[in-house]
Amino acid sequence: MSSTEEKTPNSKSESWKIDLQQAGFVRRLFQARKWYGADWWFVAISTAMVMGFIFVALFPGMLAPYNFDQIVGTSFLAPGEYPDLPVLITRSDSTIKTLRDLAGPDNTEPSKVGVIQGSPSAVAVNEQSQQVDAQLVSENSGLRLRPRLQRFVTAKELLDAVNSGQVPVGVTNLSEFNLLAADYPNLHSGSSITSETATAGGFALGTNDVGQDVFSRLIWGTRVAIIVGFSSSIISLLLGLPLGLLAGYFGGTFDRLLSLVMDSLYAFPGLILAIAITAVLGPSIYNVIVAIAVLYIPTYYRIVRGQTLQVKEEVYIEAARSIGAKRSEILWKYIYPNVIPSIAIIFSVNVADAILTGAGLSFLGLGMPPTIADWGIDLARGQRFIQSAWWLITFPGIAIMVVVLAFTMMGEGLMEIFNPKLRER
Amino acid sequence: MSPIALIVLIIGAPALILLLYIFIKGSMGLRRYILTRIGLTLPMIFILATLVFFVMHILPGDPVRSALGPKGTPEMVEHMRENLGLNRPLIVQYGVFLKDMVTLNFGNSLIGGHRPIIDEMSERFPATLELVIPASILALLIGIIGGTFAASKRKSASDYLLRIYSVIIYSLPIFWFGLMLQLLFGIRLNWLPISGRIDPVIGASLHRQTNMYLIDSLLSANWPALGSVLTHLVLPTVTLGLILSGVFVRMTRINVIETLQADYIAAARARGIREQVVVYGHALKNAMIPVITLIGLQVAILLAGAVLTETIFSWPGMGGYLVQRISARDYTAVQSVITMFALLVAIISLAVDIIYSLLDPRVRY
Repeated sequence: MSSTEEKTPNSKSESWKIDLQQAGFVRRLFQARKWYGADWWFVAISTAMVMGFIFVALFPGMLAPYNFDQIVGTSFLAPGEYPDLPVLITRSDSTIKTLRDLAGPDNTEPSKVGVIQGSPSAVAVNEQSQQVDAQLVSENSGLRLRPRLQRFVTAKELLDAVNSGQVPVGVTNLSEFNLLAADYPNLHSGSSITSETATAGGFALGTNDVGQDVFSRLIWGTRVAIIVGFSSSIISLLLGLPLGLLAGYFGGTFDRLLSLVMDSLYAFPGLILAIAITAVLGPSIYNVIVAIAVLYIPTYYRIVRGQTLQVKEEVYIEAARSIGAKRSEILWKYIYPNVIPSIAIIFSVNVADAILTGAGLSFLGLGMPPTIADWGIDLARGQRFIQSAWWLITFPGIAIMVVVLAFTMMGEGLMEIFNPKLRER
Repeated sequence: MSPIALIVLIIGAPALILLLYIFIKGSMGLRRYILTRIGLTLPMIFILATLVFFVMHILPGDPVRSALGPKGTPEMVEHMRENLGLNRPLIVQYGVFLKDMVTLNFGNSLIGGHRPIIDEMSERFPATLELVIPASILALLIGIIGGTFAASKRKSASDYLLRIYSVIIYSLPIFWFGLMLQLLFGIRLNWLPISGRIDPVIGASLHRQTNMYLIDSLLSANWPALGSVLTHLVLPTVTLGLILSGVFVRMTRINVIETLQADYIAAARARGIREQVVVYGHALKNAMIPVITLIGLQVAILLAGAVLTETIFSWPGMGGYLVQRISARDYTAVQSVITMFALLVAIISLAVDIIYSLLDPRVRY
């Protein structure tokens, strides 16, 4: 640091040196850029991302088009690919949106529906109309749906008929319509008649092996990641912080024994220990949280203990002791505030690690029960179809990466602000 | 001779001779350091073993019941408990567990041919070594070269790129990264095989001595086998190696930056020594010392990464064995593999600390 201080004007360097010793957590966060050029926007961007993920985790239903275990379409649809289902073809100005809109009072002339002779869509219209009709009857609405099918030989004839108004509505498979759609700017394809959920817009990220929407599962999976990340980190923090403070402050045999245990635990490959714990306890979100929490206690313990040892020797602690401050007071009022910044850094990195470990456990089939929407489980399921469906293994991984990246970046940013020594300018 | 004995001989014997040599030739301080360090390793092994015992025996969950499944009658459960010694008092079980660990006698596997677990592990351990060693070398190479380069060109575009690289690598889930490599190089481009250690047809002709196929194929001069082993090795090694390299880039960069501010570097520059020589000759040597301790800590990441990498690439190593035995509910095998990992961690961190003390004479008790 010596060379850097000489470069900056004396008055300026003096002022921030004094400030730094008295600055609190929040003040440092906002003044760090002015004082020593740490990039607070790095923290800001990553915090915004983290907040965003927490929001998604809290309200997945708002953003996901479907439920995570809902079967919504044909299996193995590529991203953006149209599910090839029978759809309603209408003129753009038509008010008919669903098959049900064609229903009318019992005594009126049944409406006409154009279909292609002998095509599966014609069969689908019949079956689906009967279902809707039965429903209308059971509702006592007074309406009936008994469409009269008008058969055409080719898709072109059918589209011409709809275009000219000969029939109000036609039904074809979406792929057939899409082939000719360019020639009929006035026509548009509505929703599918067989499945209410399968929209004509396709699925943004495709569907999986059983026909669930990959995007919706991704959104719902955020919930598990955030819950596992935060809960396990909070548990480790609540155990590691007091143990570290006490061991660092009191020292002695207690400290030596505890440190030995913590160091051993720290050296042991975390994932493997978590594998052992979840293998014994069985897959459930609580067991995953417990298993991961155990792994990261030593991280907090080591840092807090080290900082406590350092701070303990400071003059102001000695002064406090000499005026008769109680031990608990010294620990709580003098030492504890000094470890908060490091805790904030470890915490955000820890959440990132916990999410990665949790996903790894699920990937191995040891984390979540298979009924939960979880990125690790989706990856493991997708691995079986790696030859044919690239989207199944691509997107959950990107989701894990982005969330972990946000937390890691937040840790990095906080580190730059609270540990300016690492940033020699 | 069993493969594991061969490997222990190949790696262990020279290490032991070296250790003895250092011990005899070294200074008083060094000798005391090594003794203390070995003295500290024993409690560490003990604590880790206790931890494993606690997880496997005391945590709720009944391995016998889950091994037998719903079809297990109470008599079968009782019989199996007796066979495994699970009906004895915990303290006795603990004693037996420790004894078995010291004698490396892990009992027989619960499934398949009921072979001794130590035999099953000794077949798979070489596979893990064959994956882990090249991966560590790759990670170190990328880490040292990249980190030093970034440090020497501070604040340049390449420095920022390398920093971003290390942050992104840190956030990559290793299993996903492996899958992406498989997708790209194995399936889209069809350049490299995506699973196993060797082509099964070529593998049949390979005479296995150490079960490290690289060494085996070299020893028997079986060139097609060597080619097949190498192509199978590329993707797993790159997966594991790149994931590890992020931390090394980061640590090397920070340490080189710190070293570059030392007075002796200023002196070297003042003497007019070329910048490249200053960075790579003078600074790197000292900066590497803390990085070496880091290698010791990375063993944990390396082993955990190996478990996931082996699972993705169907690599028949220790990690793959662990996962396979967990799903088969072979509880004795799971316990043995995890105990083995604990022993490995303790021994490797001991070795790294001893190397560290040789490189840096200031490290003494």
